[in-house]
Amino acid sequence: MLMRARAVIFGSAVTGVALLAAAPAAWAQATPTTQKLTHVNEECIKLLESGQDVSACQQAPNPILPATNELIWGSLSFVVLFFLLRRFAFPAIRNGMNARAERIRSSLDEAERAKTEAQSILAEYQAKLADARAESARIIEEARQSADKLRQDLRRQAEAEVAASKQRAQEEIQASVARATADLRASVRELTLELAEKVIQRNLDRETNFALVDQFIDEIAGART
Amino acid sequence: MSDGRSNDRVDGYAAALVEVARAEGSLPQVENELFSLARAFESNDELREALTDQSLPTARRQAIVENLLGGKASPITVSLVSFIVVAGRARDLPAIIDRVVERAAAERKHAVAEVRSAVPLDARRRQKLAKALSTNLGLDVEVKVIVDPSVLGGAAVRVGDTVIDGTVRHRLDELKEGL
Repeated sequence: MLMRARAVIFGSAVTGVALLAAAPAAWAQATPTTQKLTHVNEECIKLLESGQDVSACQQAPNPILPATNELIWGSLSFVVLFFLLRRFAFPAIRNGMNARAERIRSSLDEAERAKTEAQSILAEYQAKLADARAESARIIEEARQSADKLRQDLRRQAEAEVAASKQRAQEEIQASVARATADLRASVRELTLELAEKVIQRNLDRETNFALVDQFIDEIAGART
Repeated sequence: MSDGRSNDRVDGYAAALVEVARAEGSLPQVENELFSLARAFESNDELREALTDQSLPTARRQAIVENLLGGKASPITVSLVSFIVVAGRARDLPAIIDRVVERAAAERKHAVAEVRSAVPLDARRRQKLAKALSTNLGLDVEVKVIVDPSVLGGAAVRVGDTVIDGTVRHRLDELKEGL
């Protein structure tokens, strides 16, 4: 970069010097009054000496065609200037232009890359956003399904508990009825037996008792025979 | 193991009592008196608790025995029972006495039939029952009668592990089970 700047400065300096060198010719062209008149005189003199008519001197010069020396000096200055410019300024200018083009190209590439990257990030962001929306929708759906399932489970559980409670209540009622029936039956049995015992005690006199003992003895004796 | 030691102890006391009663020449009387005492001991909760209460002084328990049997049993029977109570074996008294009766009967080549009846049995019925049991079991049987009003009527016989129950109580219990 520094070398390129130096080349540009040097090229500019050479161009300046060349222009300064060409300045006298230009100046000479800018102040042509006296010199041009002299030149015309000289040309007229030459024409007269060569036997031309004086009218030849009175022909107006071509207003477009410059003088020969001006052509020479101008061409020479042009060649020198062209050479100097080609030798020093053009490479620097070309390098600068190339560098600038390269920078612009780099910037464009960078911008393109940034744009691509931004688009990629945008696409990624949009994809993530879509994923997030899908995920949120899925979570909401799952939560809704879980809530439905939980509600159904709770309902089933409540129904089962109610059924179990009803079953238990029925079983308890049946058990209570069975217990009451059994207790009643036992009470009746006890009362019956107590009554029978009392009746037996009242009616079982000594003789009857002896008769029972005799019967018992006979049964023992009879069991053998 | 514990039951074995307890049985050995009961056998030991029973053997001692039998030897003492035989030495005194009153084994049959002592045997009968001890048998009656054992049944009273089994049926009377207060008597059983008083004689088995280790917190009571030995002299107090001995006095209870003398008051209970004094004038109703021979002095040798009272002494033997006092000996068992003082030795702290009143709880085993029925078992010891039953073993005494069994030993005495065994010495006479007899088995003991414990008969429970609501009324006392006269000698004729005892002999008839002993004969029937002897015929039925194939053993010479001696009958020991326990008057037990709770049987209501009829009689029940236990000879060793064999029980023949013909009491009204037993029939009522069967009826109760059937109901």
